[in-house]
Amino acid sequence: MKVLGIDTSGYANAVGVIDDNQVLADFTFEARNDSLEKIVANIDFVLKEAGLSLEDIEGFGVGLGPGSWTGIKVGVTVGKILAFSTNKPVSGVPTLEVLAYQARNMPGLICPIINAGAGDTIYAAFYRTKDGTVSRAGEYYVGDIQGLAEMIKEPTVFIGAEAQAYSRLINQALGSPDDIRAIEDIPRGSVVALLAATCLERGENDDVLSLAPLYLKESTAKAFVNRYSRSVQAKG
Amino acid sequence: MFVLGIETSCDETAAALVTDGKVVLSNKIATQLDLLQKFGGVVPEIAARRHTELIVYVIKEALDSAGKTLADVEAIAVTSKQGLIGCLLVGVAAAKSLSYSLRIPLIGVHHIEGHIFANQLSNPQIPMPHICLTVSGGHTMLVYVQDYCQYELLGSTLDDAAGEAFDKIAKFLDLGFPGGPVIDKLAVRGNRKAFNFPRPLLKAKTLDFSFSGLKTAVINAFKHRIANGETLPLEDIAASFQEAIVDVLVSKTLHAVLQRKVSAISVTGGVSANRRLREVFRETCRQEGIGVFFPELSLCTDNAAMIAAAGYARLKQGKADDLNLNVIPNVPLEVQGGS
Ligand SMILES: [Zn+2]
Repeated sequence: MKVLGIDTSGYANAVGVIDDNQVLADFTFEARNDSLEKIVANIDFVLKEAGLSLEDIEGFGVGLGPGSWTGIKVGVTVGKILAFSTNKPVSGVPTLEVLAYQARNMPGLICPIINAGAGDTIYAAFYRTKDGTVSRAGEYYVGDIQGLAEMIKEPTVFIGAEAQAYSRLINQALGSPDDIRAIEDIPRGSVVALLAATCLERGENDDVLSLAPLYLKESTAKAFVNRYSRSVQAKG
Repeated sequence: MFVLGIETSCDETAAALVTDGKVVLSNKIATQLDLLQKFGGVVPEIAARRHTELIVYVIKEALDSAGKTLADVEAIAVTSKQGLIGCLLVGVAAAKSLSYSLRIPLIGVHHIEGHIFANQLSNPQIPMPHICLTVSGGHTMLVYVQDYCQYELLGSTLDDAAGEAFDKIAKFLDLGFPGGPVIDKLAVRGNRKAFNFPRPLLKAKTLDFSFSGLKTAVINAFKHRIANGETLPLEDIAASFQEAIVDVLVSKTLHAVLQRKVSAISVTGGVSANRRLREVFRETCRQEGIGVFFPELSLCTDNAAMIAAAGYARLKQGKADDLNLNVIPNVPLEVQGGS
């Protein structure tokens, strides 16, 4: 199955194309300030590198975050619209899971960490590997690095753009055990595509109308909002 | 030519299908009124999140109700300028992806240019050049419309937008949100001359507006009455306040008409639905022999049909954009053909 994967939740536009288990193209474009501006051009470039056109794509994978609120809105919207306009299925993949998968060959517990952008807050989760796949153990974590350190009870590999720095802090908090490792990495489009393909092949599509980013940290006002009701009015 | 318009600059997720910039086949708006009433105003991040959730849904609604499919769409127009950045980017991300996927032209539209075209849709007979007063909760501007896509900004508000003044006063008086319609309704039963509220900048030469002094005067008058233990003539306050705003808007627009020697006025934006504003404009213009035009009510507030119409006109003038289109949250409507 030919799947296009995109993730714009961080400071990069990650775009990849796979065909079954084969990676046809996988690029990461620096996009600190121009994620929206470049995303379509980036996708076009990657498709050309893969020797495909958009019509050849059989499904879409989109990184849901957490990460930059602005970034994820771009990626999720683009993924939804491409799926809608080509009438192909879409699957949303939590970006923490993408990172965890990229560390799947490491022994021990896997802990992807994403900087929440403001202050000391981080997003994290724990994953275990089994038969080459990863599955989340426990809830998503939103908080500071000290709080995360307190949760470490066994050998753990941290993965993320600032994993080295975080693992040093965790080592300090733990009194430097040898069981903490760090991999500096960012989410890859091909991995988003791969994880999405697994779901799509099982028929586990997301609803293209309602698929939404994974923000984790609520905006202040949002804390007051429960689930709102939809109202679409015909005007004309 | 079928143009799909997309508008997400503030708190309405909107999509519309318009033929040749003239015929509105569908005009769908997913309103976030429930959130507005909850917070008493727009919370940008919440509005942007709602856009992300609703955008595909609203586009589908616009197509379905027009009896069309994406294959029928021949161009995409989207609000890319003027608005909340997080909100604008959802619409632009959607529009770019559609343009790429369907291989059809993409046109970025300035939100204010959209409002100008709302009146073009309802009243294609508006003569050129004319003066356009565009007035809503987000803006109050006088624009000299020389021709399609050729504008000159003559004046705008120095502080609150007129619709914003309505909202703030309604909030202060605990009347609900949005303020325009509730005050409009309440004012019908009030005495417009009960309070002589200030008309800021009315006598000044400038075509700029200012409403914050008026807002303060209304609040002070209210507090003064309370302090004296008097009864509260809410209807009179609403009517007198509305009269002051209407007076300023109509007078300034007529100044602009005289300055530019045009024979027609177009009034657009959410506040153009105000009944007293329409009444005074019609009466004054009748006396002065000037034509005055208002959009139909469904095109007064933010909508995507007006964006589709503006996009069509820009496309006809060769002003399409490429796939690197980005959002610009704050940029004036440019002079003489730019945008
Ligand atoms: Zn508007």
